[in-house]
Amino acid sequence: MFVIRSENIRRMLRIALPFAVMPALVLLLPLGIQSQYYALVSFIMVLLALLLFLAGFERRDLGTRRMILVSVMTALSVLGRLLPLIKPITALTVLSAMYLGPEAGFLVGALSAVLSNFVMGQGPWTPFQMLAWGLIGLFAGILAKPLQRSPLLLYIYGMLSGVAYSMLLDIWTTVWTYKEFTLAEYAAAISTAVPLTCLYAVSNLLFLIVLRKPIGDKLSRIRKKYGL
Amino acid sequence: MRDFENMNPAAVTVHLMLTACITIFCMEPVLLGLSLLCAICFFIMRNGSKHVGFHIGAIGMPVIFALLNPFWNQHGTTVLFFINQRAYTAEALFYGAVTGIRLAAVLYWFRSFSDLMTSEKLFYLFRYLSPKLALVFSMAVRNLTLFRQQMQKIRLSQKAVGLYREGHLIDDIRGELRIFSILLTWALENGIITANSMSARGYGSGKRSSFTFFRWHTGDFILLAASVLLGGAVIAGIASGATDWQFYPVCEPAPYRLPLISVLTAYGLLALLPVIHEGKETWTWKRLRSEI
Repeated sequence: MFVIRSENIRRMLRIALPFAVMPALVLLLPLGIQSQYYALVSFIMVLLALLLFLAGFERRDLGTRRMILVSVMTALSVLGRLLPLIKPITALTVLSAMYLGPEAGFLVGALSAVLSNFVMGQGPWTPFQMLAWGLIGLFAGILAKPLQRSPLLLYIYGMLSGVAYSMLLDIWTTVWTYKEFTLAEYAAAISTAVPLTCLYAVSNLLFLIVLRKPIGDKLSRIRKKYGL
Repeated sequence: MRDFENMNPAAVTVHLMLTACITIFCMEPVLLGLSLLCAICFFIMRNGSKHVGFHIGAIGMPVIFALLNPFWNQHGTTVLFFINQRAYTAEALFYGAVTGIRLAAVLYWFRSFSDLMTSEKLFYLFRYLSPKLALVFSMAVRNLTLFRQQMQKIRLSQKAVGLYREGHLIDDIRGELRIFSILLTWALENGIITANSMSARGYGSGKRSSFTFFRWHTGDFILLAASVLLGGAVIAGIASGATDWQFYPVCEPAPYRLPLISVLTAYGLLALLPVIHEGKETWTWKRLRSEI
């Protein structure tokens, strides 16, 4: 069995991936790889980035309680994603990141993407969704203090993350359908997705307005009560 | 004697991912046609005549792409006709059709992949990456059903208490929010209790052993080796430029000589593997039954 159980290989992956493999791929791009492999390279890059985060998770000691809370929040946001049209997944990811920390935020986002895609349909876009939602959670966790202090900042973050999510996935749409990446094609993809982007931003805002107080209070209470 | 569904998930994943990913990243019409045919065959072998809507959507896509591509793509030299002084070219039509076939084939492969890979199998794959992560994942899956049941309980008890009118929009929304709020509190507390009992039983104190339904049989190794070898050969062929078509301004096929033909053969075999496997199983089953 080729399990990555060995400490050494994990450590090697953690150092080699961000400092050697990924820069090498980026450098190789302009040096003679033809544009038709952009899709392949971007796909591999996203997979590697995910691998990096997820393999690093094994070493981090999140604590059993926090780990279980991550699975609870993931399940809740997947339940929410099955609603028609509007998805509270971003709002729930951001809120859990604010109170449980950046790693937990990344995990809630990335795992909700895989899990909900069992219903919505898995595809080559799944890794992109995982990375997009994971990063939204990660940054929300890093910005936890200011976001907790000012609701206005949180709402702005929510709307911006809706836009960022849509734009990140449009990179994939562009390389996938056109097999190459030019700014004009990217702009076309973004402009066709404007209604969806607006829907994301507005639904994020609405969900954050509605959920900020109750969920925030509950998470901070749990944190205080059990000393997480 | 196992159908493709019951092969080792790791081998199945490697095979389907190679087949689908080569389809995504290649623009050779014959290869894409092979891919689409095998994908449809495999899908129909597994599902029979179900999912007609999916077939219509997926097969309609090449047609739509072909018809629409010339409208926004002005490359190409063979003009068919003009619309609003914009040329509608045969090359763009063909390119659109090829793109459509590619997308349809990928859709079929991923649909089969989604059907084959239950969350339990994905859990098994996550173990390769990180046992801790696999645990979080599997608990999230379990929580989904648990929360749905709990939600139903909460809804019934709320109704019994008579806190809000039924069929009243605002009351309905407020009711749903209240249910969600109650569910959240319960879920968090329940999670903490679970975590406590896990710690009490020694979770995290040492190395864990784990149980799985999936074993490696000879067939799995053969599938894995065949996929890696054939897939590697195809990727090497694509990287060497044997499959490069030129679509614009004039359509120039890749030369159909030995390299391209061997790439096509290798890919055809790769994509046919699941079809052959399912076919063989069905045939063996029929033969065994007729002997009874």
